[in-house]
Amino acid sequence: MNSDLINLFADTFGIAQEKLQPGATLESLGLDSLAVIEFLFQIEDQFGIQIPDQANPPRTLDEMVQLIEPLMPKLGRTDTGPAA
Amino acid sequence: MRRVAITGLGVVSAVGVGCETFFTALLAARSGIRPIEIAFPNGVESVIAGSIDFNPDTYFTRAKLLTMDRVSQFALVAAREAMSQAGLADVANRAGLPPDRFGVSLGTGSGGSGSTEAAYSALLEQKVTRLRPMTVVLSMNNAIAAHVSMEFGLKGPSSTVSNACASSANAIGEAFRQIRHGYAEAMLVGGSEALLNRGTIKAWQAMQTLAKPHADGAHASCRPFSRDRTGLVLSEGAAMLVLEDWDTAQRRGAHILAELAGYASTTDAYHLTQPEASGQAHAMRLGLRDAGLNVDDIAYLNAHGTATDVGDVIETHAIRLAFQNAAATLPVSSTKAVHGHAMGAAGAMEFIASVMALRAGQLPPTAFLETPDTRCDLDYIPMQARERKDMGAVMSNSFAFGGSNAVLIAKSA
Repeated sequence: MNSDLINLFADTFGIAQEKLQPGATLESLGLDSLAVIEFLFQIEDQFGIQIPDQANPPRTLDEMVQLIEPLMPKLGRTDTGPAA
Repeated sequence: MRRVAITGLGVVSAVGVGCETFFTALLAARSGIRPIEIAFPNGVESVIAGSIDFNPDTYFTRAKLLTMDRVSQFALVAAREAMSQAGLADVANRAGLPPDRFGVSLGTGSGGSGSTEAAYSALLEQKVTRLRPMTVVLSMNNAIAAHVSMEFGLKGPSSTVSNACASSANAIGEAFRQIRHGYAEAMLVGGSEALLNRGTIKAWQAMQTLAKPHADGAHASCRPFSRDRTGLVLSEGAAMLVLEDWDTAQRRGAHILAELAGYASTTDAYHLTQPEASGQAHAMRLGLRDAGLNVDDIAYLNAHGTATDVGDVIETHAIRLAFQNAAATLPVSSTKAVHGHAMGAAGAMEFIASVMALRAGQLPPTAFLETPDTRCDLDYIPMQARERKDMGAVMSNSFAFGGSNAVLIAKSA
């Protein structure tokens, strides 16, 4: 999974990285739908991307990464880190 | 009518976390008031306040904190202490207290005003085009009740009272009636306030009611009933109690701390900010009648006593009106000199001070009362705590802008 994304996720919610397995449901990580939207907004702001509205919001970490990753700038570029 | 037991107490105040910390500071007249630095757009200002040294990471996960304003954080910490003291934190111990018979009744003046301000700041100062998705649920006044009910699985009646400085006293009183009249077996009650943000501070400064720094130090700036008092000190915090039907509490073997015996609520219908003695006195008399007590039965009165010029004089007059000849020997104190004016949480905080005084046989003093105002001529327990054993009952007054008066009375268990 995208390590920038996972780092940001772990930091935002204060969750240990080892718990962030691809199949983990967001609910099992203690996150409800509002928390997920909060995170998606944060991703949009930090990476300057727009995530289309979802009829079915992601339920697992893997689904969320799949939703966001194609929209993110390529890894290794200077603009992939959190905004200064 | 059913009797109502108090079985748990919890406090987060300017003097720290925990009701024992709170009461120890009250008895020692050790103030938690201090100067804090607030960054306004035109520069940093020092403001005297009852600000709490509070690290939320000690109590909540980061994910949880994303959903909670400071006002809800205080509320939950105080609620955890009260529920734990009542032996009810674990749902397995709630025999006779089914979830739908256990409710929440809380007071707040400003709710999540810090989050409201942050949203306006983002929109108007930082020029963002959208706000955090959590903005509404962080700011709404009933968020504190929502968080408390979710943490403990309380599915009974829920309400949030916003009656300015009387909010939590009214919240306690209305919940008392819910239990008395059989609408609930138990209620988690109290109030929370976290209003030390830029807009709220500026609004209060504009009212010309805030205390000036005292020569002895910022900690001594709130001086109820003193000749040199200059106004109130804004503070933050939360105070929570567990109320239960008396028989239910006894059946489950609860340790009953005191009986909530009387409540009254009146309105001055007179002025937005000026208090009125007759409305306050009427509330005290109605409270006594509700508790089935006489003026002589009250062994201690925790005054509203904000340290404003007019408020302290009017309350003195109101106590004389209500207690008549008994006023001359009634010990009265204002603990706001120590914890400041916690606004929506003040009523609950001071009722807890009263209940703890009743149980300890120790009356908290009015701190810094070196030279009383001659117009405030009751026994205001100056400076030093006083021992008074075998007290039968205590009263707590809460009076608010808008003319709301609330009185609570506790009897020894």
